[in-house]
Amino acid sequence: MSTSDQNPAKSYALSDIRHDQAGFESLVRLYAALKAARFANLEIDMSRVGWFDADMCAPLGAVLYRTGSHVNKVSLVHLQPQVETILSKNGFLSHYGRLTVRDKYGTTIPYQRFDVKDDRFFASYVEAKFVQRTELPRMSTGLVKRFRESVFEIFSNAVIHSQSKLGIFSCGQFFPKRNRLDFSVADLGIGIRRNVLDHTDLDLPPDQAIVWATSERNTTKRGPIPGGLGLKLLREFITLNEGRMQIVSDAGYWSLEKESVQTALLSAPFPGTVVNVEINTADRRSYAFTSEVKEADIF
Amino acid sequence: MEKGLIISPYEIVGSPLCVASDDGQKVFERLAAAVKEEKSVTVSFRNVTSLTSAFLNAAIGQLYGSFSPGEIRARLKVKDMAPADLALLKRVVDTAKEYFKDPGRFSKAERAALRGKNA
Repeated sequence: MSTSDQNPAKSYALSDIRHDQAGFESLVRLYAALKAARFANLEIDMSRVGWFDADMCAPLGAVLYRTGSHVNKVSLVHLQPQVETILSKNGFLSHYGRLTVRDKYGTTIPYQRFDVKDDRFFASYVEAKFVQRTELPRMSTGLVKRFRESVFEIFSNAVIHSQSKLGIFSCGQFFPKRNRLDFSVADLGIGIRRNVLDHTDLDLPPDQAIVWATSERNTTKRGPIPGGLGLKLLREFITLNEGRMQIVSDAGYWSLEKESVQTALLSAPFPGTVVNVEINTADRRSYAFTSEVKEADIF
Repeated sequence: MEKGLIISPYEIVGSPLCVASDDGQKVFERLAAAVKEEKSVTVSFRNVTSLTSAFLNAAIGQLYGSFSPGEIRARLKVKDMAPADLALLKRVVDTAKEYFKDPGRFSKAERAALRGKNA
């Protein structure tokens, strides 16, 4: 009988991973190469990776977790020291047999996998690893609240829409010199294109399905609980904050920056959906709404 | 409006983070039971620090599937909300009213079943 331990390892090379379209393209190519593997020893050759944006551990972790669910053993090999350090600090490599290294500069929000029922665990993680961390940048109270609620919206969106059975993956990274905080959430669910098709009969290309889902008033939600606000709220916040938002689902890529939306088709599908937000931590808006809304006018 | 019940999401959820749809469902069940019995009820958001549309859709938006806007307006009040949270709730309510106008999303049978379940 052949087992994974007796099989010679198959190697797959990865190149630099930045949180942009090219970075996502590399990850979907990796998934395309790995997805048929069963009962195999798989090595991800990291020798050509000189830069890895740490928040991209969420989609990479999702790809490797899906691959592992097909009874494969996945190893990351030949890591360059600077990449090994960052992926050790955020705990990613501890999922692949290595030790976590202390993050003495406190710029990472650790890599973590959640089950879809882990809403409260996720909330605690955001509180402990982001909100209550004194090393992270000083941000206005209003910005912290909006950021925190935005990542909860992303997580809730994955819980409600993805039908992911293998979990939800998240990771973040602060870039002090650029005043940017990146946070990514990936799921291994059915994706936006399939969701739109199943619930509206609109058979859209994957990138256009994301355009549809992020547009005002559109929702795939059916049943007794209304929906359709989460991604729109996120989009509004990112626009105000002058940050950036990216969504990858199936083979669709969508990004929003400076009020401009870009879409593209990737060469292969991602096995779920990724939402990445990059917030401008130097934003000094109070986010304290001077709203006209009064309690008596709500209903 | 008679002096009514006060319902605290903080107490029901057991946390200042009212973010999960499942937690919103717990609040909804109490609100729906009260409105069904024609009781006046105030939702106090005191001590709640984070809210999401997912939570508010389940807790309050969902009421529009079982009750008319008039019934809800007559029975339900909110208090102790920050202006930003109030603005979010208003959007949730407006979205819910639109959502339940589309019969394809929520059939009369589902509506009746839900109303019966909350009796």
